[in-house]
Amino acid sequence: MLAFLRKNQVLLSSGFCLLLSLYILTAAARGHLKQDPVGPILLWLMRPLQIAAQAATGWIKEIDQRYATVAGFRTENDRLRKRIQELEVERNKLLEAQATNQHLQQLLEFRSHLPSGSITASIIGNSASSWFQSCLLDKGSADGIRKGMAVVTPLGVVGQVVSTTSRSAKVLLITDANSGVDVLVQRTRARGIVSGSLENVTIMKYVKRSEDIQEGDRLITSGLDGVFPKGLMVGTAVKVRKQSLGLFQYVEVMPAVSSAQIEEVLVVGGEPSQAKN
Amino acid sequence: MKLSLLFFAVGMLLVLLQTTFLHLLPLGPVVPDLILVLCVYWGLYYPNVAAVLGSFALGYSVDVVSSPILGLNAFAMSLVFLIVYLSSRSIWLHNPLISAIVVFLASLVKGAALVLVWAVFLSMEGLWTGAARYIIMEALVAAFLAPFVFGLLRRGQSYLEQIRVTTE
Repeated sequence: MLAFLRKNQVLLSSGFCLLLSLYILTAAARGHLKQDPVGPILLWLMRPLQIAAQAATGWIKEIDQRYATVAGFRTENDRLRKRIQELEVERNKLLEAQATNQHLQQLLEFRSHLPSGSITASIIGNSASSWFQSCLLDKGSADGIRKGMAVVTPLGVVGQVVSTTSRSAKVLLITDANSGVDVLVQRTRARGIVSGSLENVTIMKYVKRSEDIQEGDRLITSGLDGVFPKGLMVGTAVKVRKQSLGLFQYVEVMPAVSSAQIEEVLVVGGEPSQAKN
Repeated sequence: MKLSLLFFAVGMLLVLLQTTFLHLLPLGPVVPDLILVLCVYWGLYYPNVAAVLGSFALGYSVDVVSSPILGLNAFAMSLVFLIVYLSSRSIWLHNPLISAIVVFLASLVKGAALVLVWAVFLSMEGLWTGAARYIIMEALVAAFLAPFVFGLLRRGQSYLEQIRVTTE
């Protein structure tokens, strides 16, 4: 018996891991897995590394941008190039400081229009898989972030918190195939659900054929999903098609916020109410 | 033991890379799946219980940082390991091109496992058309990177084994 176990230990342990993952999947899907025992520890261990890596990523981006800037001056003589480089570095610093200042001011102003208890957070990591559109925030339940809270920027809706640990939170972006935001067409008040898809396009679903919707129409949150305050920008309709069959129109949406370009977000707390902007 | 720890550290480093630096690559929405390449390497060259647990743990880590539901990637990575392990008995692998092909096929297996589990536990809408694109792109990127990652891992493994032999 022992010899059999020893001989087939890889097969048996693989089978065990497969069954365990299926058990975890089933429990998580049915909502029986209230508390993930390992996830918070893992995120806690990875958090400082991710913050450092994200800082390094920003540094690499800056180097890349600086290189692109400098590359334009190759034909100029060395003295001028050096001088320009110095000025460019200084200018970049000032511009960065100005942009950060402006961005934070916008966030502050925007925050005053949102329900009380909104929390400012930074994005410290992106999805590790091509299949999911998510990101990690540097704040968690210890800072007041709870599952189900809305994540927004002054430009529009980013996503929804799907899980938290004490010091981090996972956000499912609106471009993920499993997300859904109840929206209104600002011009006609037609309703629908904006969701991502695996085809890498964001679409507005369940828009009746009879509804008037045109390319360029702005889509805002309806506030009816109980997650996002009413009146926040979600995106713009970029392709509208009435198929020959079916009850609904096909509406492709350009999200107002590109997750790749944002660094700070607001996590909206309190009861969702109408945004004043 | 030292080798298992090294491999686990490499795995965690790959999770970190996949959530940060690899997003800088101009590959659109596709994130190179180096964790899959590592699981394939384990299945081929390092098939033991530690590697089984390692594959499961790395899949679970991906679930923790990005998946909306726990267990998806843990299942997929465990399955990839098992299939590569079973097929490794009939594969004689010393050629970078063949390692790329094995990783390409393993990535297809992972994609199929994800689609299957996704269909059962998450939404079905637009799954097939979208998934097919992701599966092919991910498999191509992983296959392209496989020979380099395999080379690095093999060097690390033989270096540690050499140290062990010298100390013994």
